[in-house]
Amino acid sequence: MKSFSLLDSFSLTKKNFFRAPQWELKLAVRILMGFLILYFLTAFLFLGIGGFYLLTKENPESDPILLINPLLGLYFIVDIVVRYFFQSIPVTEVKPLLILPISKKEIVNGVLWRSLISFFNVIPVVTLLPFCIVFSVEKGLNASVWIWFLGLVCLSLSSNYFSFLINKSKRTALVFLALFLIGYGLHKFSNVSVLDLFGKGLNQLYLELYWILIPIVLLYFSISLTKTYLRKQLFLDKGLSKKKEQIVGGNLNFFDRWEGMGFFLKNDIRLIIRNIRARQVVLTGVFFLFYGLFFFTQELYLDKPFVLVFAGIFITGGFMITFGQYVPAWDSEYYSFLMCQNLPYRKYLKSKLYLMMFSVVVCSILSLPYLFFGFNVMQVIWAAGIFNFGFGSMITLFSGVYNTTPMKLNIKAKAFENTQNFSLIQMVFILPKLVLPVLVFYLPFAFFGFNAGLVGLVITGLLGLLFQKKLLSLIENTYQKKKYKTLSSFNK
Amino acid sequence: MSHMIRVENLSKKYAGQLVLDVPELQIPAGQRFGLVGNNGAGKTTLFSLILDLIEASSGSVFSKEIDVQKSEAWKPYTAAFIDESYLIGYLTVEEYYAFLANLRGVTKEEIESWTQGFESFFNGEVLNQKKYLRNFSKGNQKKAGIVGALIGKPDLVVLDEPFSNLDPTTQIRLKNLIREEAEKHGTTFLISSHDLTHVTEVCDRIVLLEKGVIVKDIETTPETLKELESYFSN
Repeated sequence: MKSFSLLDSFSLTKKNFFRAPQWELKLAVRILMGFLILYFLTAFLFLGIGGFYLLTKENPESDPILLINPLLGLYFIVDIVVRYFFQSIPVTEVKPLLILPISKKEIVNGVLWRSLISFFNVIPVVTLLPFCIVFSVEKGLNASVWIWFLGLVCLSLSSNYFSFLINKSKRTALVFLALFLIGYGLHKFSNVSVLDLFGKGLNQLYLELYWILIPIVLLYFSISLTKTYLRKQLFLDKGLSKKKEQIVGGNLNFFDRWEGMGFFLKNDIRLIIRNIRARQVVLTGVFFLFYGLFFFTQELYLDKPFVLVFAGIFITGGFMITFGQYVPAWDSEYYSFLMCQNLPYRKYLKSKLYLMMFSVVVCSILSLPYLFFGFNVMQVIWAAGIFNFGFGSMITLFSGVYNTTPMKLNIKAKAFENTQNFSLIQMVFILPKLVLPVLVFYLPFAFFGFNAGLVGLVITGLLGLLFQKKLLSLIENTYQKKKYKTLSSFNK
Repeated sequence: MSHMIRVENLSKKYAGQLVLDVPELQIPAGQRFGLVGNNGAGKTTLFSLILDLIEASSGSVFSKEIDVQKSEAWKPYTAAFIDESYLIGYLTVEEYYAFLANLRGVTKEEIESWTQGFESFFNGEVLNQKKYLRNFSKGNQKKAGIVGALIGKPDLVVLDEPFSNLDPTTQIRLKNLIREEAEKHGTTFLISSHDLTHVTEVCDRIVLLEKGVIVKDIETTPETLKELESYFSN
């Protein structure tokens, strides 16, 4: 049997990339992403180097490693959660390899190796390595630091494989959930803190070298578990099969009351709840609801109303922006079908616009708890809501026309690949979406005070509503003009 | 006789290369029109132009004398099933049909009883499956899509390769279905196919495209199949 090496595995990945449609564009995005990743890596590198000096400066008496250890438990929990959502491991790509003369063991090993090439596996090394080097230089070469380093790398890699298992097998997911709940319960109802214990364990590892056996065994355990699991899944009717899906959102008859539009809303809601990618995007929108906490909890920002406007736009328009910027890309999989149905553009656009406006209303209602930060904050949020309701929704709808990259609905976007629909024009549209509301508030505010600023926002929103018909016609025409171009890029 | 489709000086170029050149073509209402040709002959291009999915390099397509590029008024009476991208993958068949019925002005009750009439065509594998269309097999997706195209009795139905991926029983049932629909409602069918036997059996007229040009335009007779076979074997 010819051996299927790691190199072959890479070469397939490479070809997959360069032979994909629009790979030039993807390459450009990748390069941009590359810079971003490089930026993050440098940031983490400096965190590693600077971290040592920062810790020793603040606490000259204690050993910096003993200061870090208690925090690492939380780090690993976050690590597993983030990996769960953003790290995807290419299992289905092995399908064509199954009938080639490559042993299953090699296929499994290939998948396991390839899963290591991930941003999430590089971070700990890039941060810890410089830290440990600086440590060794400053405090003298010391085996225990490097044992500690090795231990953490092993733990991080175990996290890599465990998150993979959690993603793929429900049973592992339940085991981890149970562990998490037990840990949380202990933390809450007794004096035993699992995080503290974890930190103490790391201290032990640092002080007594033979503790290194625990992370090594854990890593070995996670690898062999993943191997056994994958080996069993390498059949078309197992891990490589399409998942059997339960029907969700079957009964949405409530929306039928809404003559004409209800039907489209129903479809869009199904689109959102039944597709992985859509759920991911909408989750981001929900996250924006909490965006205000970031600003409002800091005195510094509370005095600057235009910063509050910025927050208000995100709170009330988070979903609107995240969902709306991908109209019509959401429907790219069946766009030709829509284009030859008895569905005038205007009706299609209106249905999307109403969904966005509806979301602004819902977000504005959900933002009520921000009242806690004062009536002023609430006023700004609702004024921003009215702006989004009337005007922001229009701009977002308009920006979508320029987004002609097809969207794969039921495929998870990877971390740093959330850019499949990234374009310069989208960047340009950030101006009217985010900067304009701040201006509309700030100009009257600077001359006539707070209330005038609010009126500025509200009036812009109302103007948007007043000219809705006109603006819709404008957007409709742009859609018409770009129809063939959009179709041809959606069909790639 | 009134024309369902009238094509005038139609051409399509990709990067300077002519892929379709049809100076004149008329399809009368109620005709079952078959389009044959090898891969790359321009069949899908012609259909896409008729459905205004690509821009013509020159010329126009008129559907009931409406220029399809200039108005959307042809959409209410037109339906098509070209490939799986004409299905909405995350819907169940019932939801998809309800969506189409809504677009074509058919009530919920009507559509439910109407789809029951296709039970034998579906062979019990399409309705009440409790799964999304994207999880259907290719054959069942095709069945679901073809029946979907017939919802609301459109005057013009465009089907690209309707016979491929279907099992023999369904192929025969599909032929009967097309004939019945055409006779009952006077539906005009535009059908492209690689399967000469099926297409000659079901269509009254066969147009043969080669490299974007119409090389044969014949009314179907018992000899048509032989004629086509001899053409393609050279």
